[in-house]
Amino acid sequence: MNSEASQPLSSIRALELSEIWAGPFCGCLLGDMGAEVIKIESIQRIGRGPINPPANTGGYPDDDPGKEPWNRQSNFNAINRNKKSLTLDLKTQQGLNSFKDLVSQSDVVFCNYARTVMENFGLSYEQVRKIKPDIIYMLMPGYGNDGPYANYRSMGMAIDAITGHSFLRGYPDLDHSSNSLVHHPDAVAATNGVMALTSALVYRAKTGKGQFIDMSQAESFMTHLGEIYLENQMTSSIRKRRGNRHPDFAPQGVYKCSGDDNWIAISIKTDQEWSELKTIITDSSLQGTDLDSLEARLKNHDYLDKVINEWASTRDRYDVLTLLQAAGITSGVVIDCGADSYADPHLNERDFFQIVDHPAAGLYPMTGPIFKFESDQGRITHNPAPCLGQDNKQILEELLGYSRDTINKFKTDEIIGTVPLAGSDMGGSRRVANQRKEDSKD
Amino acid sequence: MPYGALEEIIVLDLSDRLAASFCAKTLGLYGCEVIKVEPLSGDPLRKWTNSNPDNHSGDSPLFLHLNAGKKSITINLDDAKGQNILAGLMKVCDVVVETHKPGHLDKIGLAYNQIKKFNPSVIFTSITPYGQTGPYKDFHYDELTLFAMTGAMYREGLPDREPLRYSGEIAQYFAGNAAAAATTAALFKKTLTGHGDWLDISIQECMAGHPHQIGRRAPFIYAGEPDPRSQPRTSASGAREPYAVGTFRCKDGYFSFLPLGPRMWPNIAKMIAREDLMVDPKYDDTIKRSENKEELEAIFQAWLDNRTREEIFQAVQAAGVPGSPILEPEEVHKNKQFHERGFFQNVDHPNGQTLRMTGDPFRFSNAPTSSIKAAPKLSQNTNEVLRKLLELSDTQIEMLATENII
Repeated sequence: MNSEASQPLSSIRALELSEIWAGPFCGCLLGDMGAEVIKIESIQRIGRGPINPPANTGGYPDDDPGKEPWNRQSNFNAINRNKKSLTLDLKTQQGLNSFKDLVSQSDVVFCNYARTVMENFGLSYEQVRKIKPDIIYMLMPGYGNDGPYANYRSMGMAIDAITGHSFLRGYPDLDHSSNSLVHHPDAVAATNGVMALTSALVYRAKTGKGQFIDMSQAESFMTHLGEIYLENQMTSSIRKRRGNRHPDFAPQGVYKCSGDDNWIAISIKTDQEWSELKTIITDSSLQGTDLDSLEARLKNHDYLDKVINEWASTRDRYDVLTLLQAAGITSGVVIDCGADSYADPHLNERDFFQIVDHPAAGLYPMTGPIFKFESDQGRITHNPAPCLGQDNKQILEELLGYSRDTINKFKTDEIIGTVPLAGSDMGGSRRVANQRKEDSKD
Repeated sequence: MPYGALEEIIVLDLSDRLAASFCAKTLGLYGCEVIKVEPLSGDPLRKWTNSNPDNHSGDSPLFLHLNAGKKSITINLDDAKGQNILAGLMKVCDVVVETHKPGHLDKIGLAYNQIKKFNPSVIFTSITPYGQTGPYKDFHYDELTLFAMTGAMYREGLPDREPLRYSGEIAQYFAGNAAAAATTAALFKKTLTGHGDWLDISIQECMAGHPHQIGRRAPFIYAGEPDPRSQPRTSASGAREPYAVGTFRCKDGYFSFLPLGPRMWPNIAKMIAREDLMVDPKYDDTIKRSENKEELEAIFQAWLDNRTREEIFQAVQAAGVPGSPILEPEEVHKNKQFHERGFFQNVDHPNGQTLRMTGDPFRFSNAPTSSIKAAPKLSQNTNEVLRKLLELSDTQIEMLATENII
């Protein structure tokens, strides 16, 4: 502890109440940097996919959901490395008390559920700080904790839309109904969440003060579009969809290479790069000086795309990449998230993937941490995502000092557990049970 | 309203590209004193203006955004004396954010391991396209080509067309943001223990390790599931409702929807006041709704055609259906939520312009605040910084200026 080689957050315990991406990825990054991240879940309501997935549901090892699909779901397992899992039914007094006991021994609480969820449990910041005055407590709803949208629900794609990013994405020749849905803002909220929590930790270390952090996922992402909002104030040219092009560079685009769905991205940013490209693509129409100015290349961009596509179509994308990079030309192959990324020599040399032995899902190479600290001396922490309630006993017994009898009673009373209850994957077991009661009345 | 949680921390910003510059800016928003070290000719991003031929205000929108609140000093790093000045600053600062080609700082004696001897608690954050090691470390890059190499692009766009990038410089921003978070974690350790660190941040890895990408890579490695580009209105793997997925035209623009799972069906039927559909056997279950998707979408579209984005936004919130209006960037600052929260702030710039600038990505209840300041003019703070941090006299500073060192 606290040695030169210790991880930056190794003295920190954080409680995560989150699902899908924004909160869980925030917790994942904290865990990567050594924090003890306890994911608070429940057997009454799970965020780990369906309990009995239909036969066509993808995303399980060997396409087999197995007996515990909630512990084998690919997306969950990918985004929850380096965490513990504790189940607690926060709608019971025992569950709530256990959470409060845990808070008294924790540094950080964060939640990406709708803004009112914590308050409804009786766990607002004001209530939690009574237990732990210097707690650092973050709520990260889509639009922030006040204002007319404070209680609006959101997802990554909604944030992408409302910030203006969706408006700017897509093929310029098609309308917005051709847009895919992008959840990138979730990841931004996660990294900003880590920034918020760690800077609050620095402040606490210096002053002893805790903090309520109001994170708006929308505003967090809007800082990544700052120059676009400024551009519209400073110039008369309103930013439109550009596809893969940029008005300062030409030619620029993504060109089809040999094989099935293989592509190379090329950006000619300087006249020097252009003259190199001319020596590589020897098509006679590119020679001479007609296209040597950016202006001329922008004007003839469609034609240039045609010539480059013809040239690339018979060539292997990695051969093209090697050739262009050797000539100093800005370029990159389009790699997928499957075989290409696992075969990528660079990611492999940098140990981007680790073989992870997950107790319920098996042994697979999984994507690892994105930060490399020199103090880690090459050691990479990558514990598998936790099974549901996997750490119940350790946390309640060792950390909170509960007796075996108490823990057994918790199990009987369904305060804790490792098997989700019926309906817990459909918005909550209680809600589904109530619905059934009402249906049977009809 | 920047928050001073990180006050009294000095950051040297040696960036000339977006990711590192944004990392330093984010640290500055939370109280760090950020000193931008520029070549005598200035950060090339000051002139990122070809796309805006009518912008005569000097610095580019991108530069003004990335450097709001920073100080600017100029040093000629091709000269040994200039390198000495930078070494002096590195010895007294807390954080160095840099984006040089891997190995370059070693050559001029200014790498982490060289500075660490004099300043054991210094944190170096190196942000490069592909990291400090590996076969791609010297690759030429820009947003487009780097985005291609992350796995994110392959899935973007239509199946029969070329893959697409996101708009803006999103991969570089994301990496800058991630780097700021990791740097602050290192600052926490430094605060507790006095130990520094060196962070090797690869923009490629930040995006390739992003939930979008790892969430796709896992089904591939678990079960060999392919990950092709798909039609924007097709639902993935039966988990969603088959209709009302994607972006639709409405009365005054476009609206994006993503209803998750069959339990959204009654919510949507009620939202469009067509409860009758719920008892129609044609739409009994997800499979039948999928078979009759076109009819359903026509009904849905007719409802949308008569409504504005704001009306639809209220309706989806009342019905519990995930969705959001597509705003044009122009409309964002006028939006009532962002307006009421005071997210955009008016900042006076030296050329007399007042610009609405983005504010804080998150807010603290319990830390000192200040106001957002404009980006510095080139070399605006050279004298002040050298006097304060290196205790140089006015005569010494004048001499360095005459020699074209600063």
